Amino acid sequence: MTDSMKLINLKNISAALVIVIGFASCSSDDDAIAIDPPVVVDFSGTFSQEDQMGRPGINTVFSATPDIENSFNVTIPSEQGAAFQSLFETQLAGLHGAFGVSYENNILGLDITTLTTVLASDVLQVAPGVPTTYFDGTNVLTGRTLTDDVIDVSLILLFGGQNGDRFNGQDLDGDGTPDLPILVTDGVSGAGETPSSTFPYLEAPHSS
Amino acid sequence: MNKIRKTNLFIIGGLLSIGVVLMAADHIDAPAVVGTTADITDLYAFEGADPDNTVFVANVQGLLAPGSSATFDENVLVEINIDNDGDLVEDLVIQAIPRGGIMYFFGPYEPSQTGLNSVIDEDTQYLGQVAISSGSSATTSEANGISYFAGLREDPFFFDSSQFNAIVGGMAPGGFNNPGNDDFDGTNVLSIVIEVPNSLLGGTFSHPAGTGVEVFNTWAEAKRKQ
Repeated sequence: MTDSMKLINLKNISAALVIVIGFASCSSDDDAIAIDPPVVVDFSGTFSQEDQMGRPGINTVFSATPDIENSFNVTIPSEQGAAFQSLFETQLAGLHGAFGVSYENNILGLDITTLTTVLASDVLQVAPGVPTTYFDGTNVLTGRTLTDDVIDVSLILLFGGQNGDRFNGQDLDGDGTPDLPILVTDGVSGAGETPSSTFPYLEAPHSS
Repeated sequence: MNKIRKTNLFIIGGLLSIGVVLMAADHIDAPAVVGTTADITDLYAFEGADPDNTVFVANVQGLLAPGSSATFDENVLVEINIDNDGDLVEDLVIQAIPRGGIMYFFGPYEPSQTGLNSVIDEDTQYLGQVAISSGSSATTSEANGISYFAGLREDPFFFDSSQFNAIVGGMAPGGFNNPGNDDFDGTNVLSIVIEVPNSLLGGTFSHPAGTGVEVFNTWAEAKRKQ
Protein backbone atom coordinates (compact mmCIF):
# COMPACT_ATOMS: atom_id res chain seq x y z
CA MET A 1 0.00 0.00 0.00
CA THR A 2 1.47 3.32 -1.04
CA ASP A 3 1.08 6.52 0.82
CA SER A 4 -1.10 7.85 -1.96
CA MET A 5 -3.33 4.78 -1.73
CA LYS A 6 -3.69 5.35 2.02
CA LEU A 7 -4.75 8.89 1.31
CA ILE A 8 -7.31 7.73 -1.22
CA ASN A 9 -8.64 5.18 1.25
CA LEU A 10 -8.90 7.79 3.95
CA LYS A 11 -10.76 10.01 1.53
CA ASN A 12 -13.11 7.13 0.78
CA ILE A 13 -13.62 6.49 4.44
CA SER A 14 -14.42 10.14 4.97
CA ALA A 15 -16.83 10.03 2.07
CA ALA A 16 -18.38 6.90 3.45
CA LEU A 17 -18.73 8.49 6.89
CA VAL A 18 -20.38 11.52 5.38
CA ILE A 19 -22.83 9.29 3.56
CA VAL A 20 -23.55 7.26 6.69
CA ILE A 21 -24.05 10.37 8.79
CA GLY A 22 -26.27 11.74 6.09
CA PHE A 23 -28.40 8.63 6.14
CA ALA A 24 -28.48 8.73 9.88
CA SER A 25 -29.76 12.28 9.74
CA CYS A 26 -32.43 11.38 7.23
CA SER A 27 -33.37 8.41 9.32
CA SER A 28 -33.58 10.59 12.39
CA ASP A 29 -35.89 13.00 10.56
CA ASP A 30 -38.07 10.12 9.47
CA ASP A 31 -38.31 8.96 13.06
CA ALA A 32 -39.26 12.42 14.22
CA ILE A 33 -42.05 12.57 11.65
CA ALA A 34 -43.25 9.13 12.58
CA ILE A 35 -43.31 9.93 16.31
CA ASP A 36 -44.87 13.35 16.01
CA PRO A 37 -46.85 13.69 12.79
CA PRO A 38 -48.08 17.16 11.88
CA VAL A 39 -51.44 17.67 13.58
CA VAL A 40 -54.08 18.90 11.19
CA VAL A 41 -56.72 20.63 13.24
CA ASP A 42 -59.67 22.12 11.41
CA PHE A 43 -60.84 25.55 12.57
CA SER A 44 -62.66 26.43 9.35
CA GLY A 45 -66.23 27.56 9.01
CA THR A 46 -68.57 30.25 10.22
CA PHE A 47 -69.69 30.34 13.84
CA SER A 48 -73.08 31.92 14.57
CA GLN A 49 -74.15 33.46 17.86
CA GLU A 50 -76.45 31.57 20.24
CA ASP A 51 -75.74 33.20 23.61
CA GLN A 52 -74.34 36.51 24.78
CA MET A 53 -73.52 37.92 28.21
CA GLY A 54 -71.87 40.96 29.73
CA ARG A 55 -73.30 41.63 33.18
CA PRO A 56 -74.90 38.93 35.29
CA GLY A 57 -78.66 38.63 35.35
CA ILE A 58 -79.62 41.28 32.83
CA ASN A 59 -81.45 39.11 30.36
CA THR A 60 -83.09 36.94 32.95
CA VAL A 61 -84.38 39.74 35.15
CA PHE A 62 -85.57 42.08 32.44
CA SER A 63 -86.85 39.92 29.63
CA ALA A 64 -90.52 39.30 30.34
CA THR A 65 -91.05 36.42 27.94
CA PRO A 66 -89.01 33.53 26.54
CA ASP A 67 -89.18 35.13 23.10
CA ILE A 68 -87.58 38.32 24.42
CA GLU A 69 -84.90 36.32 26.21
CA ASN A 70 -84.03 34.38 23.09
CA SER A 71 -84.02 37.51 20.98
CA PHE A 72 -81.78 39.35 23.46
CA ASN A 73 -79.14 36.63 23.24
CA VAL A 74 -78.83 37.00 19.48
CA THR A 75 -78.82 40.79 19.41
CA ILE A 76 -75.42 42.47 19.28
CA PRO A 77 -74.72 44.96 22.09
CA SER A 78 -74.75 48.01 19.81
CA GLU A 79 -78.38 47.22 18.92
CA GLN A 80 -79.61 46.08 22.33
CA GLY A 81 -80.41 49.56 23.67
CA ALA A 82 -82.76 50.48 20.85
CA ALA A 83 -84.39 47.06 20.87
CA PHE A 84 -84.82 46.44 24.59
CA GLN A 85 -84.59 49.61 26.72
CA SER A 86 -88.29 50.42 26.64
CA LEU A 87 -89.23 46.79 27.30
CA PHE A 88 -86.86 46.71 30.27
CA GLU A 89 -88.28 49.98 31.65
CA THR A 90 -91.81 48.59 31.40
CA GLN A 91 -90.70 45.45 33.19
CA LEU A 92 -88.98 47.30 36.04
CA ALA A 93 -91.95 49.64 36.46
CA GLY A 94 -94.24 46.61 36.53
CA LEU A 95 -92.18 44.93 39.23
CA HIS A 96 -92.66 47.98 41.42
CA GLY A 97 -96.30 48.49 40.48
CA ALA A 98 -97.06 44.96 41.60
CA PHE A 99 -96.21 46.10 45.13
CA GLY A 100 -98.18 49.30 44.81
CA VAL A 101 -95.19 51.61 44.52
CA SER A 102 -93.22 53.34 41.78
CA TYR A 103 -89.52 53.06 41.04
CA GLU A 104 -87.42 55.45 43.13
CA ASN A 105 -84.12 56.84 41.82
CA ASN A 106 -81.38 54.53 43.05
CA ILE A 107 -78.20 55.03 45.07
CA LEU A 108 -76.41 56.17 41.93
CA GLY A 109 -79.14 58.77 41.35
CA LEU A 110 -80.25 57.02 38.17
CA ASP A 111 -83.87 57.39 37.12
CA ILE A 112 -85.66 54.43 35.64
CA THR A 113 -85.00 55.38 32.03
CA THR A 114 -81.31 56.03 32.59
CA LEU A 115 -80.86 52.84 34.60
CA THR A 116 -82.56 50.64 32.02
CA THR A 117 -80.64 52.40 29.26
CA VAL A 118 -77.36 51.57 30.98
CA LEU A 119 -78.38 47.97 31.66
CA ALA A 120 -79.93 47.25 28.25
CA SER A 121 -76.49 47.28 26.62
CA ASP A 122 -75.26 44.06 28.14
CA VAL A 123 -71.53 44.63 28.40
CA LEU A 124 -69.17 44.67 31.38
CA GLN A 125 -66.90 47.64 31.91
CA VAL A 126 -63.35 46.73 32.92
CA ALA A 127 -60.78 49.22 34.22
CA PRO A 128 -57.30 47.85 33.53
CA GLY A 129 -54.78 48.69 36.22
CA VAL A 130 -57.49 49.55 38.75
CA PRO A 131 -58.68 47.27 41.59
CA THR A 132 -61.69 45.32 40.42
CA THR A 133 -65.15 45.53 41.95
CA TYR A 134 -68.68 45.23 40.66
CA PHE A 135 -69.65 47.80 43.29
CA ASP A 136 -68.08 48.29 46.70
CA GLY A 137 -69.95 51.38 47.84
CA THR A 138 -67.41 53.72 46.29
CA ASN A 139 -66.07 52.23 43.11
CA VAL A 140 -68.59 51.31 40.44
CA LEU A 141 -68.26 48.63 37.78
CA THR A 142 -64.54 48.29 37.23
CA GLY A 143 -65.06 44.64 36.37
CA ARG A 144 -66.29 41.58 38.22
CA THR A 145 -64.30 39.43 40.62
CA LEU A 146 -65.07 35.81 41.49
CA THR A 147 -66.47 36.85 44.88
CA ASP A 148 -68.38 40.06 44.05
CA ASP A 149 -71.97 39.77 45.28
CA VAL A 150 -73.41 40.76 41.93
CA ILE A 151 -76.92 39.62 42.87
CA ASP A 152 -77.17 41.91 45.90
CA VAL A 153 -75.65 44.80 43.94
CA SER A 154 -78.15 44.29 41.14
CA LEU A 155 -81.06 44.04 43.59
CA ILE A 156 -79.98 47.23 45.37
CA LEU A 157 -79.68 49.13 42.10
CA LEU A 158 -83.09 47.92 40.94
CA PHE A 159 -85.15 48.03 44.14
CA GLY A 160 -83.09 49.83 46.80
CA GLY A 161 -84.14 53.38 46.01
CA GLN A 162 -82.00 56.33 46.95
CA ASN A 163 -80.74 54.77 50.19
CA GLY A 164 -80.32 51.25 48.89
CA ASP A 165 -82.59 49.69 51.52
CA ARG A 166 -86.05 50.45 50.25
CA PHE A 167 -87.34 46.88 49.84
CA ASN A 168 -85.89 45.53 53.05
CA GLY A 169 -88.89 44.19 54.89
CA GLN A 170 -89.58 47.41 56.83
CA ASP A 171 -92.78 47.83 58.83
CA LEU A 172 -93.17 51.60 58.65
CA ASP A 173 -96.86 51.69 59.59
CA GLY A 174 -96.33 49.47 62.61
CA ASP A 175 -99.07 46.98 61.74
CA GLY A 176 -96.80 44.02 62.36
CA THR A 177 -96.54 43.22 58.68
CA PRO A 178 -93.66 44.33 56.47
CA ASP A 179 -94.71 47.08 54.12
CA LEU A 180 -92.53 45.76 51.37
CA PRO A 181 -90.81 42.40 50.94
CA ILE A 182 -87.06 41.86 51.19
CA LEU A 183 -85.77 42.38 47.67
CA VAL A 184 -82.41 44.09 48.22
CA THR A 185 -80.49 40.99 49.31
CA ASP A 186 -80.94 37.29 48.66
CA GLY A 187 -79.35 36.46 52.01
CA VAL A 188 -76.49 34.57 50.36
CA SER A 189 -72.95 35.87 50.60
CA GLY A 190 -69.78 34.76 48.87
CA ALA A 191 -68.25 33.62 52.15
CA GLY A 192 -68.24 30.02 50.97
CA GLU A 193 -66.23 30.87 47.87
CA THR A 194 -62.49 30.66 48.34
CA PRO A 195 -60.82 31.21 44.99
CA SER A 196 -57.06 30.95 44.68
CA SER A 197 -54.89 34.05 44.47
CA THR A 198 -53.01 32.53 41.55
CA PHE A 199 -53.90 31.37 38.05
CA PRO A 200 -56.37 29.87 37.17
CA TYR A 201 -58.00 31.28 40.33
CA LEU A 202 -61.14 29.10 40.30
CA GLU A 203 -61.42 26.32 42.87
CA ALA A 204 -61.02 22.65 42.02
CA PRO A 205 -64.29 20.97 41.09
CA HIS A 206 -66.41 19.17 43.64
CA SER A 207 -65.72 15.47 43.36
CA SER A 208 -68.38 12.82 43.45
CA MET B 1 -104.27 44.91 52.98
CA ASN B 2 -103.04 41.36 52.75
CA LYS B 3 -105.51 40.65 50.03
CA ILE B 4 -104.22 43.57 48.03
CA ARG B 5 -100.67 42.35 48.47
CA LYS B 6 -101.66 38.91 47.35
CA THR B 7 -103.34 40.31 44.26
CA ASN B 8 -100.26 42.33 43.55
CA LEU B 9 -98.10 39.28 43.87
CA PHE B 10 -100.30 37.46 41.41
CA ILE B 11 -99.81 40.36 39.03
CA ILE B 12 -96.08 40.09 39.44
CA GLY B 13 -96.37 36.39 38.87
CA GLY B 14 -98.38 37.02 35.76
CA LEU B 15 -95.82 39.47 34.49
CA LEU B 16 -93.01 37.04 34.85
CA SER B 17 -94.28 33.54 35.10
CA ILE B 18 -94.30 32.54 31.46
CA GLY B 19 -91.34 30.23 31.61
CA VAL B 20 -89.09 32.89 33.01
CA VAL B 21 -86.49 31.82 35.51
CA LEU B 22 -85.11 35.01 36.86
CA MET B 23 -81.70 36.34 37.45
CA ALA B 24 -79.48 33.34 37.73
CA ALA B 25 -76.57 35.34 36.40
CA ASP B 26 -76.84 33.98 32.93
CA HIS B 27 -77.38 30.51 34.35
CA ILE B 28 -80.62 29.14 33.00
CA ASP B 29 -81.31 32.30 31.07
CA ALA B 30 -83.23 31.67 27.88
CA PRO B 31 -85.12 28.66 26.58
CA ALA B 32 -83.16 28.43 23.33
CA VAL B 33 -79.82 27.91 25.08
CA VAL B 34 -80.69 26.49 28.51
CA GLY B 35 -79.05 23.15 29.04
CA THR B 36 -77.19 23.33 25.74
CA THR B 37 -73.44 23.31 25.24
CA ALA B 38 -73.66 26.96 24.14
CA ASP B 39 -75.13 28.22 27.43
CA ILE B 40 -72.85 30.85 28.93
CA THR B 41 -73.42 30.90 32.68
CA ASP B 42 -71.08 33.69 33.76
CA LEU B 43 -68.45 36.15 32.67
CA TYR B 44 -65.84 37.54 35.06
CA ALA B 45 -63.10 40.06 34.27
CA PHE B 46 -60.68 41.21 36.96
CA GLU B 47 -57.20 42.41 37.73
CA GLY B 48 -54.73 39.54 37.81
CA ALA B 49 -52.27 38.61 40.53
CA ASP B 50 -49.91 40.63 38.32
CA PRO B 51 -51.72 44.00 38.22
CA ASP B 52 -50.47 44.56 34.68
CA ASN B 53 -52.74 41.71 33.55
CA THR B 54 -56.49 41.27 33.20
CA VAL B 55 -58.12 37.87 33.79
CA PHE B 56 -61.16 36.79 31.76
CA VAL B 57 -63.30 33.87 32.95
CA ALA B 58 -66.08 32.53 30.72
CA ASN B 59 -68.13 29.69 32.18
CA VAL B 60 -70.49 27.43 30.23
CA GLN B 61 -72.86 24.56 31.05
CA GLY B 62 -73.67 25.34 34.68
CA LEU B 63 -75.25 23.36 37.52
CA LEU B 64 -73.13 20.28 36.81
CA ALA B 65 -73.37 17.68 39.54
CA PRO B 66 -70.08 16.30 40.90
CA GLY B 67 -69.00 13.44 38.67
CA SER B 68 -70.72 14.88 35.63
CA SER B 69 -69.05 13.88 32.38
CA ALA B 70 -69.96 17.13 30.63
CA THR B 71 -67.39 18.30 28.09
CA PHE B 72 -66.81 21.35 25.94
CA ASP B 73 -68.51 21.10 22.51
CA GLU B 74 -66.15 21.12 19.51
CA ASN B 75 -68.85 22.94 17.54
CA VAL B 76 -69.10 25.83 19.99
CA LEU B 77 -66.71 28.76 19.81
CA VAL B 78 -66.46 30.85 22.98
CA GLU B 79 -65.50 34.40 22.14
CA ILE B 80 -64.44 37.18 24.49
CA ASN B 81 -65.22 40.52 22.84
CA ILE B 82 -63.42 43.76 23.71
CA ASP B 83 -64.63 47.23 22.75
CA ASN B 84 -61.89 49.85 23.07
CA ASP B 85 -63.83 52.99 22.06
CA GLY B 86 -67.24 52.59 23.69
CA ASP B 87 -69.29 52.08 20.51
CA LEU B 88 -70.36 48.62 21.72
CA VAL B 89 -68.75 46.98 18.68
CA GLU B 90 -65.85 44.59 19.26
CA ASP B 91 -62.40 45.88 18.32
CA LEU B 92 -60.59 42.79 19.57
CA VAL B 93 -61.61 39.18 20.14
CA ILE B 94 -60.12 36.27 22.06
CA GLN B 95 -61.47 32.96 20.77
CA ALA B 96 -61.42 29.52 22.39
CA ILE B 97 -62.50 26.23 20.85
CA PRO B 98 -61.74 22.60 21.81
CA ARG B 99 -60.26 19.93 19.55
CA GLY B 100 -59.38 16.46 20.79
CA GLY B 101 -59.09 17.28 24.48
CA ILE B 102 -57.12 20.48 23.87
CA MET B 103 -58.51 24.01 24.08
CA TYR B 104 -57.06 26.23 21.34
CA PHE B 105 -56.89 30.00 21.77
CA PHE B 106 -56.63 32.78 19.19
CA GLY B 107 -55.99 36.43 20.02
CA PRO B 108 -56.48 39.03 21.18
CA TYR B 109 -56.74 40.16 17.58
CA GLU B 110 -58.81 42.45 15.39
CA PRO B 111 -61.49 40.29 13.74
CA SER B 112 -62.13 40.50 10.01
CA GLN B 113 -65.84 40.82 10.72
CA THR B 114 -67.91 41.88 13.74
CA GLY B 115 -71.34 40.87 14.90
CA LEU B 116 -73.33 37.66 15.02
CA ASN B 117 -71.03 35.57 12.83
CA SER B 118 -67.36 34.83 13.41
CA VAL B 119 -64.53 33.03 11.69
CA ILE B 120 -61.22 31.96 13.23
CA ASP B 121 -57.97 33.49 11.97
CA GLU B 122 -55.49 30.64 12.46
CA ASP B 123 -52.59 32.86 11.42
CA THR B 124 -53.11 35.56 13.99
CA GLN B 125 -50.14 36.60 16.14
CA TYR B 126 -51.14 35.29 19.55
CA LEU B 127 -51.87 31.57 19.62
CA GLY B 128 -52.13 29.27 22.60
CA GLN B 129 -53.35 25.87 23.64
CA VAL B 130 -53.81 23.91 26.84
CA ALA B 131 -54.89 20.37 27.69
CA ILE B 132 -58.42 20.45 29.12
CA SER B 133 -58.47 19.62 32.84
CA SER B 134 -61.10 17.29 34.21
CA GLY B 135 -59.88 16.63 37.74
CA SER B 136 -58.81 18.63 40.75
CA SER B 137 -55.39 19.57 39.39
CA ALA B 138 -55.37 22.42 36.90
CA THR B 139 -53.24 22.06 33.77
CA THR B 140 -52.17 25.49 32.58
CA SER B 141 -49.95 26.83 29.83
CA GLU B 142 -48.42 30.14 28.84
CA ALA B 143 -47.36 31.81 25.60
CA ASN B 144 -46.46 35.42 24.85
CA GLY B 145 -47.18 36.31 28.47
CA ILE B 146 -50.75 35.00 28.15
CA SER B 147 -51.86 32.22 30.54
CA TYR B 148 -54.42 29.60 29.56
CA PHE B 149 -56.74 27.20 31.39
CA ALA B 150 -59.80 25.21 30.35
CA GLY B 151 -61.69 22.58 32.31
CA LEU B 152 -64.02 21.59 35.08
CA ARG B 153 -64.06 23.90 38.14
CA GLU B 154 -66.23 24.66 41.13
CA ASP B 155 -68.88 27.19 40.11
CA PRO B 156 -68.08 30.41 42.01
CA PHE B 157 -71.55 31.82 41.45
CA PHE B 158 -73.84 32.09 44.51
CA PHE B 159 -77.53 32.93 44.58
CA ASP B 160 -80.81 31.85 46.15
CA SER B 161 -82.44 31.48 42.77
CA SER B 162 -85.26 29.21 43.94
CA GLN B 163 -86.43 31.84 46.45
CA PHE B 164 -86.29 34.46 43.74
CA ASN B 165 -88.48 32.26 41.59
CA ALA B 166 -90.87 31.84 44.52
CA ILE B 167 -91.04 35.62 44.91
CA VAL B 168 -91.88 36.34 41.31
CA GLY B 169 -94.25 33.40 41.29
CA GLY B 170 -96.27 35.02 44.07
CA MET B 171 -95.31 32.32 46.56
CA ALA B 172 -93.08 34.35 48.89
CA PRO B 173 -94.74 37.60 49.98
CA GLY B 174 -91.92 38.33 52.43
CA GLY B 175 -89.28 38.27 49.75
CA PHE B 176 -85.90 36.67 50.38
CA ASN B 177 -84.91 34.77 53.51
CA ASN B 178 -82.11 35.61 55.91
CA PRO B 179 -80.05 33.58 55.52
CA GLY B 180 -80.90 32.40 52.06
CA ASN B 181 -79.85 29.18 50.40
CA ASP B 182 -77.11 29.07 47.77
CA ASP B 183 -78.57 26.93 45.00
CA PHE B 184 -75.18 26.74 43.30
CA ASP B 185 -73.41 25.31 46.32
CA GLY B 186 -71.83 21.98 45.44
CA THR B 187 -72.09 22.41 41.67
CA ASN B 188 -69.43 22.57 38.98
CA VAL B 189 -69.07 24.39 35.69
CA LEU B 190 -66.89 24.24 32.59
CA SER B 191 -64.51 27.15 32.77
CA ILE B 192 -62.21 28.96 30.36
CA VAL B 193 -59.65 31.25 32.01
CA ILE B 194 -57.29 33.57 30.13
CA GLU B 195 -54.91 36.05 31.76
CA VAL B 196 -53.71 38.68 29.30
CA PRO B 197 -51.19 41.53 29.64
CA ASN B 198 -53.09 44.82 29.51
CA SER B 199 -50.65 45.96 26.83
CA LEU B 200 -52.33 43.50 24.43
CA LEU B 201 -55.89 44.64 25.19
CA GLY B 202 -56.04 47.92 23.29
CA GLY B 203 -57.26 51.35 24.35
CA THR B 204 -59.72 52.64 26.91
CA PHE B 205 -62.40 55.33 27.18
CA SER B 206 -64.07 57.19 30.01
CA HIS B 207 -66.54 55.07 32.02
CA PRO B 208 -70.10 55.55 30.70
CA ALA B 209 -71.38 55.89 34.29
CA GLY B 210 -69.37 59.10 34.55
CA THR B 211 -66.95 57.91 37.21
CA GLY B 212 -63.96 59.22 35.29
CA VAL B 213 -62.26 55.82 35.33
CA GLU B 214 -60.78 54.58 32.04
CA VAL B 215 -62.37 51.34 30.87
CA PHE B 216 -62.96 49.00 27.97
CA ASN B 217 -66.18 47.03 27.45
CA THR B 218 -66.18 43.27 27.35
CA TRP B 219 -68.76 40.54 26.78
CA ALA B 220 -68.79 36.84 26.01
CA GLU B 221 -70.50 35.06 23.15
CA ALA B 222 -71.09 31.39 22.39
CA LYS B 223 -71.21 30.73 18.66
CA ARG B 224 -72.07 27.43 17.00
CA LYS B 225 -70.48 26.17 13.81
CA GLN B 226 -72.87 26.37 10.89
